[in-house]
Amino acid sequence: MLSIYFGKYEGDNYINNPDLYFDNTYEDEWLNDPVSKEMVKDIDRSELVGPNLVVSPVLGSIPVTRLSGGVKTLIQVWHDQDHVYNATACGDNCAQWLLKAGEERDVLVRLGYIMHFTGEPFKIRIANTDEIVETQIDLAKKVILAGLLD
Amino acid sequence: MIGRYEIEIYNNKVHYQLTITRNITIIRGDSATGKSELIRLLTLYNSNPSSSGITLICDKKCIVLNDENWELFTGSYTDRIFFIDEGNEFLGKKEFADVIKSADNYFVIVSRESFPQLPYSVDEIYGLRESEDSGKYRQAKRFYNEMYKIYGKMPGIVNSPEIIITEDSNSGYEFFNAIFKDKCVSAGGKSNVKNLIVQHLDQQVLAIVDGAAFGSEMQKCMELSFGSREGVSIFAPESFEYLILKSGIIEVPKAVIDETWNYADSVRFFSWEEYYTYYLSDVTRNEISQYSKKKLNEYYKTKGNLERICEILPDDIIGDG
Repeated sequence: MLSIYFGKYEGDNYINNPDLYFDNTYEDEWLNDPVSKEMVKDIDRSELVGPNLVVSPVLGSIPVTRLSGGVKTLIQVWHDQDHVYNATACGDNCAQWLLKAGEERDVLVRLGYIMHFTGEPFKIRIANTDEIVETQIDLAKKVILAGLLD
Repeated sequence: MIGRYEIEIYNNKVHYQLTITRNITIIRGDSATGKSELIRLLTLYNSNPSSSGITLICDKKCIVLNDENWELFTGSYTDRIFFIDEGNEFLGKKEFADVIKSADNYFVIVSRESFPQLPYSVDEIYGLRESEDSGKYRQAKRFYNEMYKIYGKMPGIVNSPEIIITEDSNSGYEFFNAIFKDKCVSAGGKSNVKNLIVQHLDQQVLAIVDGAAFGSEMQKCMELSFGSREGVSIFAPESFEYLILKSGIIEVPKAVIDETWNYADSVRFFSWEEYYTYYLSDVTRNEISQYSKKKLNEYYKTKGNLERICEILPDDIIGDG
């Protein structure tokens, strides 16, 4: 299940800047994975050819270090179970991929805003309060009433 | 720092255009819209302006801040536009908010974090949009307009709000309470508006907030609007004082309202809300119309003056009074 910690997260395994972290730690095998290729196609509208090449319709041939911060975060969340990533680097267009990761296994990410999830009912655990929500309005209400982003 | 600045930066692949009018501008939105690429271009340009192959057109110097240089640069430079990408840890620090508070610089922050410590305007939250003709061109477009109508399945809902939540607890509340009679409740501050909306989600809600400093709360309130069955609308003029100045009750040079960026010096005013309050209080001092934020002068509650302020409210806001 997807678990989200809202607000300030202080675990030792927390990565605040997934964009930068990806550039220096990514594994080639992550970038040969069909799921990563799908993510890049969906979010960046680019073709992930392999660990050394991305073809972007706007930027042309670019290295993987110039993928968007959002898709870098998704790739890390999918492949690296040792860290808690700051998914604030992900926009609303990444929400479905985070839910999908949560369907595969237990995933914990941190958010500094209320991401807009669609496809209700879903299952998201608010890690701060250990509550499970199934709709976006319940997610928003619980985050707000608990003051998790104040 | 005062002024309005057009910024254009491009290379042979991407071309950005944005306009900056206040001390704090926020850029957010979906992933892969080119936000980080904008910061990358600026960084490369500044490392070698003449040989970078990147063109920057702006009347002010544009510089990228990071965790390493922000204290040095903000302490050394004035009259610049600073850009900051998400992921920098200093963004959430109180020390950074203190620096912005009296800075003689403008700041453009790329982040989805809400930053409740910064009083940024709902009007200065932008998303980058691709041009319809070509993916090369990216323009900064406002995320929110002044009036946020969430009709859902019930069109026209804001014409009959059952409850009006005002951010203001004093003068602003008194004014809207005179308009909407017993439907008005005060949130007593911007951070409590969303909590009151949650409490009244089973009713048709109109929230009236000071848009000039409400940016950090807007996304949370909009999520409630999207999910509300009954309907939640948010009216976010710059501030209540702005409405008075705009109404014409007080004689004000048009430029103060239409070109506030030339008057609200970032060194003196953390937000335009502070500027409008200062200006209205100053211009009415020792007059019959003397304005106080704490208690609304009866002058503004006369039938004629109430009507003049109501005339500049959007058509959808129709009071019972």
